[in-house]
Amino acid sequence: MAIDVRNPTPPNFVRLVGPDQVPPHVDKSLIRTAGLTYGPEFLAAPHTFMADMHRKFPPLFYDVSPFGNAWQAIKHEDALFILRHADIFSNEGATPFPRDPDDYFYFIPIEIDPPQHRKYRNIVDPLFSPQGVLKLEGMMRQLANELIDAFIEKGECDFTTEFGRPFPVTIFLRLMGLPVGMTDTFVEWAIALLHSNDRAIMAETLKTISVYLKEAIAEKKANPDDGVISLIAHSAPDGEPLCDKEIFGFVVFLFIGGLDTVFATLNNVWLWLARNPDRRAEMLADPDNINAQVEELLRVHSVTFSGRTVAKDHEMRGVQLKAGDKITCILPACNFDPDVFPNPTEVDFHRPKKIILAFTVGVHSCMGAHLARLETKVAIQEWMKRIPDFKVKDGAEIVYRPGGVVGPHHLPLEW
Amino acid sequence: MPKVTYVEANGTRHDISVSDGENVMHGALYNGVDGIIGECGGGLACATCHCYVDEAWTGRVGGPSSQDETDMLDSTSAEVRPTSRLSCQIIVSADLDGLVIHLPETQF
Repeated sequence: MAIDVRNPTPPNFVRLVGPDQVPPHVDKSLIRTAGLTYGPEFLAAPHTFMADMHRKFPPLFYDVSPFGNAWQAIKHEDALFILRHADIFSNEGATPFPRDPDDYFYFIPIEIDPPQHRKYRNIVDPLFSPQGVLKLEGMMRQLANELIDAFIEKGECDFTTEFGRPFPVTIFLRLMGLPVGMTDTFVEWAIALLHSNDRAIMAETLKTISVYLKEAIAEKKANPDDGVISLIAHSAPDGEPLCDKEIFGFVVFLFIGGLDTVFATLNNVWLWLARNPDRRAEMLADPDNINAQVEELLRVHSVTFSGRTVAKDHEMRGVQLKAGDKITCILPACNFDPDVFPNPTEVDFHRPKKIILAFTVGVHSCMGAHLARLETKVAIQEWMKRIPDFKVKDGAEIVYRPGGVVGPHHLPLEW
Repeated sequence: MPKVTYVEANGTRHDISVSDGENVMHGALYNGVDGIIGECGGGLACATCHCYVDEAWTGRVGGPSSQDETDMLDSTSAEVRPTSRLSCQIIVSADLDGLVIHLPETQF
């Protein structure tokens, strides 16, 4: 389904919601109501819930949800297939954020199928390559220590607001060329968009974000700097400048993608670190293995999902998928697939290296993956140097945020 | 700039100038050579930039540069041969001017 990126039009897919809107080709025995991202069982312990799905759910099932009905894939090999076959599983209309039909735009590059998406990735990939992000390492280490300076003497902190959020968000805003002083406002917007589970709030928030970013883009066009927004606003692949819709769709997507995901990941990882003193000691005793440690922690603490729209009829595991169906890869569940990761819930820093799905795979694999890996590594190293012993504050209750990025609301720590 | 020749599985050849210090995977991606996906962007996390180094060049290019690359070569879609490398790990330099790289039939 080739789309005209410069003249965006809303897709005409039908959103099916709830038990009364199950298409007739769906086998009744495959229908479930899993409560993913919102149900009490999920929210009580999301990663345990997703690991257990391999025992409790069929490998491919049809989930009925108040937020949209869709097929759900939990096998690692199925996710690789789905995410790597854009001709069958399209990204068009696969991003759930409601937009104004009269001023429609595409989220770029995530909603753009190949080969068109490569044009956009080529603009930013060098910055986000493993070598590109290394240029930020010194700044990251300094920032981590400045944040720790502010609370270390207290002997306690709310990890989410004092480190988990400001660390990645500050790095991201500096990279984009946006004011770090706006951090709290930006994060509030991201939370309303990603965690409200309310389409009216989502639409209103997206409008607020749009007004702000359109002004920011105009300002970068007039006064170029070395940030990513300016780079996109002034880019001209093959000599042709991007049009306003392309620039906006690209910037707004990076903005949404950059605010919440590493934040949630760090919260999950620190909760595990706080609860596992022996494993912290093991990590400290083996500092040269830090890259494998980060990879393994990302495997078991993945935070997000990949949605696609079936573009043409396709049979998978004996199940008939029809064009127009929605399908979601539950990436954290795929990372617990026992066929690929034996004894999957055990954190093992010496596993053979396999493809993990924390950052999805295929042409739309996360462009910020290497940034996220480096941030996680630097955060662990600098924190453990200064606060090697810490635990969850006595009496603290860990409550998970509903929505498509999985992590706790708050994580009070003490040492 | 050093030249790299990419030979697709169907025999189509692409002679590309690649900057000194750039990797062979990016050389393909930025110049529209099909047959290399490089979905993870060079992070040893996906095994979709698999290539076979031409036998005349294996001595100069060498084998896998890390244990991670060796492990990831287990995850490739096409057959692994003694000349297999992940192209994101081959850095182009004057020494490799004229390098010939063969691309497998599939990366997925």
